[in-house]
Amino acid sequence: MKALNWHPAESAAFREGVISAVPLTVGVAPWGVVTGVAMVSAGLTSTQAVGMSLLVFAGSAQLAVLPLFIAKAPLWVMYATALIVNLRYFIYSAVLAPYFARLPRPWRVLLSYITVDGVFAMFAGRYRPGDGAEHKHWFYLGGSVLSWVIWQTASVLGIFGGSLIPRTWSLEFAATLALTALLMPLLFDRAVVSGAIVAGMVSLAGSRLPMNLGVLLAVIAGVVVGLIVTRFVPAAPAAGGADVP
Amino acid sequence: MSPDVRVWMLITGLAAIAFVSRAIFVVPGSRLSLPPTVERVLRYAPAAALVAIIVPDLFRLEGVVTLSLDNPRVMAGVVAVVVAARTRNILMTIASGMAALWLASRIMHL
Repeated sequence: MKALNWHPAESAAFREGVISAVPLTVGVAPWGVVTGVAMVSAGLTSTQAVGMSLLVFAGSAQLAVLPLFIAKAPLWVMYATALIVNLRYFIYSAVLAPYFARLPRPWRVLLSYITVDGVFAMFAGRYRPGDGAEHKHWFYLGGSVLSWVIWQTASVLGIFGGSLIPRTWSLEFAATLALTALLMPLLFDRAVVSGAIVAGMVSLAGSRLPMNLGVLLAVIAGVVVGLIVTRFVPAAPAAGGADVP
Repeated sequence: MSPDVRVWMLITGLAAIAFVSRAIFVVPGSRLSLPPTVERVLRYAPAAALVAIIVPDLFRLEGVVTLSLDNPRVMAGVVAVVVAARTRNILMTIASGMAALWLASRIMHL
């Protein structure tokens, strides 16, 4: 069985990935706890919350959907919101595809499921497709597995610890604060900041709209404004593709 | 639809969305480069969505979105935005925002 013989270079790359991802876990752990607490305070049972954490494994989408879930938004609005928050993964996927194109399909499925922002950024900064580093997918797997383990542990801690925290502490507000911190790396140029400001205003103005449609309208307005600003206020070329957060 | 079924529909739907958005180019092994405008839309939309979720949530007073600055959550949000922009640290952001919320609700309810 070849699969059981872990090549030394593979295990070395895996280990290097794990070690390189350690600094990222400082951010991942509290975010996981907050998401765990937020799921339970939104009314999910602990089984449902653990299920969501394992199956979805997308903290920002989970946090973004929970206020809509509390407000009893229709499913399709929640799906649309999650999709929009996850649009950044389309870019990651396009960037990663040439790196992993030669791997067997189960590998590509696994590496897709386990992709997170921090490891993606670290990996794309370190390797290039076809750079001769044959074991770089093991590096990617190592960093991702560490992030996954830390995230799931933190999330479970939040799920089971969250119910012990008194409601009067308003801990559900921590989820909004966590989203605020997650937002910052996404605000990379003037166009996206302008779009985001408009989105905030539209969302506030549209908060009474039925089915929480204000959020979706706000995204459309934000993207349109962002594109207009890019068109008329030329940004530095550095804002291109390579420095995706 | 029972509440339980609704939750599981949400979970499985989100799981599918999360997986497909990560796998869409990696699993077929395609080698395309996104046109710049498409890439811009993909990069602007998530920021807009997060702001669209955060802002009304800051203006919530007893569950209802209220356009008033006399709200501890608005104060806490301002503090959190400043700290998040300066430190880029999630733990600092949550800690300072929660501290500001607690302080502001104390001061406002004197």
